[in-house]
Amino acid sequence: MHINELHLKDYRNYEDLHLFFENRINVIIGENAQGKTNMMEAIYVLGMARSHRTPRDKELIRWEQPFSRVEGQLTNRHGPAKMEVIFSKQGKKVKLNGLEKKRLTDYIGACTIVMFAPEDLALVKGSPQIRRRFLDMEMGQIYTVYLYYLSQYHKILKQRNQWLKDVAQNKTAKNEAFFEVMTDQLVEAGAEVIQKRFAFLQKLENWAQPIHENITQGTETLAIDYVPSAPVDASMSTDEIKTALKAEYVRLFEQEIRRATTVLGPHRDDLKFLVNGHDIQVYGSQGQQRTTALSVKLAEIELIYEKTGEYPILLLDDVLSELDDSRQTHLLDTIQGKVQTFVTTTNVGGIHHEMLEKATMFHVTGGSIDQTD
Amino acid sequence: MQYPQPISKLIEGFTKLPGIGPKTAARLAFYILDMNEDDVMDFAKALMNAKRELTYCSVCHHITDTDPCRICQDKDRDPSVICVVQDSKDVIAMEKMKEFGGKYHVLHGAISPVDGVGPEDIYVPDLIKRLQDETIQELIIATNPNIEGEATAMYISRLVKPTGMKVSRIAHGLPVGGDLEYADEVTLSKAIEGRRQL
Repeated sequence: MHINELHLKDYRNYEDLHLFFENRINVIIGENAQGKTNMMEAIYVLGMARSHRTPRDKELIRWEQPFSRVEGQLTNRHGPAKMEVIFSKQGKKVKLNGLEKKRLTDYIGACTIVMFAPEDLALVKGSPQIRRRFLDMEMGQIYTVYLYYLSQYHKILKQRNQWLKDVAQNKTAKNEAFFEVMTDQLVEAGAEVIQKRFAFLQKLENWAQPIHENITQGTETLAIDYVPSAPVDASMSTDEIKTALKAEYVRLFEQEIRRATTVLGPHRDDLKFLVNGHDIQVYGSQGQQRTTALSVKLAEIELIYEKTGEYPILLLDDVLSELDDSRQTHLLDTIQGKVQTFVTTTNVGGIHHEMLEKATMFHVTGGSIDQTD
Repeated sequence: MQYPQPISKLIEGFTKLPGIGPKTAARLAFYILDMNEDDVMDFAKALMNAKRELTYCSVCHHITDTDPCRICQDKDRDPSVICVVQDSKDVIAMEKMKEFGGKYHVLHGAISPVDGVGPEDIYVPDLIKRLQDETIQELIIATNPNIEGEATAMYISRLVKPTGMKVSRIAHGLPVGGDLEYADEVTLSKAIEGRRQL
């Protein structure tokens, strides 16, 4: 996959920006607060129809403007494609080859994206919520059916939590037959979500392991574990997961009534990264956590290739200079000649010379970008 | 307000209808001014009559001008099968098909705690009471295939199943006459899930 052209209109600090990318490797250089990350975000938005930084689309519209547009010409496995995302006060619209897509699932996937930004270190260090979001975003790009079950799950969860709340406040009768119906629905969708997460993580681990071993020159073995809130494991079939989940909901019925909320399920699950058998969220050094995040991101690239038959776009926002020479060399080996990559940095000093030789350079100053050689 | 009061009142009335914005409302209002008076009278009467003369059937809760409704009174229809739907509009849709010869039960909604609708707030208890009639032997649940419609179907089936009555749920999956290649992944996976033996 290759983005050939990017056109931003009233996006963040860009009034009107038109760029061409002939090269696979593109380095964007600029001082802080000039718009480097905004540009990376725009490419992310082009593929994912949402920002990685904020859930509020309105923030993407340039100050006091009515709307904002991100448009890209790219070449993917089906040939040339034109993608467009428009944000306005009324909401957002996505267009693929000039046709509006009512469902985001018909749009996402035409341009897959892997981003590695400073916040990704939180993947290891941060809250479980960040790791679940990572799972949902990455899986959503390649498995449409996963997105469906996930959205069903969240709708049922909302209904079920509302009921529990209403019962606690005596607003509705404690109709246990109806509660059981909602639990059954939750189990149906939840088991699919859990089973698909197990399968995805198994694949991700298979790809991440050799990459991690390579980066650490054979000294570290990485494992990725799913930490479910219910007594289920990767060896179970979807039906077995359903049975186990159901039994756990029955067991915790009184507790759910008391706490007036759904206490277990995929929305309470987590992941764990282990290096040589130790949980690195707790025991890992900064460097180990960074290497792990990098291995996972590189594994994602391979996984997307395996699933879709083409490499995603890689966005490296302000992270390259944080990696030492050997890690950068490894990264370069992985993307060499196949992954279109966008890199931002404040200063080229920290970037491997081999990378710079191959790259097209762009200079950002206050909302405008110039290509330099 | 630049319009004279009678017409702005009329525009206001139209904008209350679903799918009609201020521009369409203004266009409709001005059209009515150009219509001849008899037609306008007929239209106004039709509006009033629809509201005044229609009630809900005391048996199935479908909209009707007679009570019980024509479907419930129809001797040629099979009283042993009841099709449960969410809305009166669904009865009309089913009737267009002309294949279903049983009777109906209109719930007027689906159970949805988020919208403050519990099982008692729609005609579920009434359905259970109606099923005590020995002549009814089969229930077809045709609520919408979304979370709330599905929950309502499962809930009714849970209440009715212990009595030994035959309960079924309408199928969902590929549309008839459609091409497989144009179906989205989710519909396809649902169709695979709901496959039947030949």
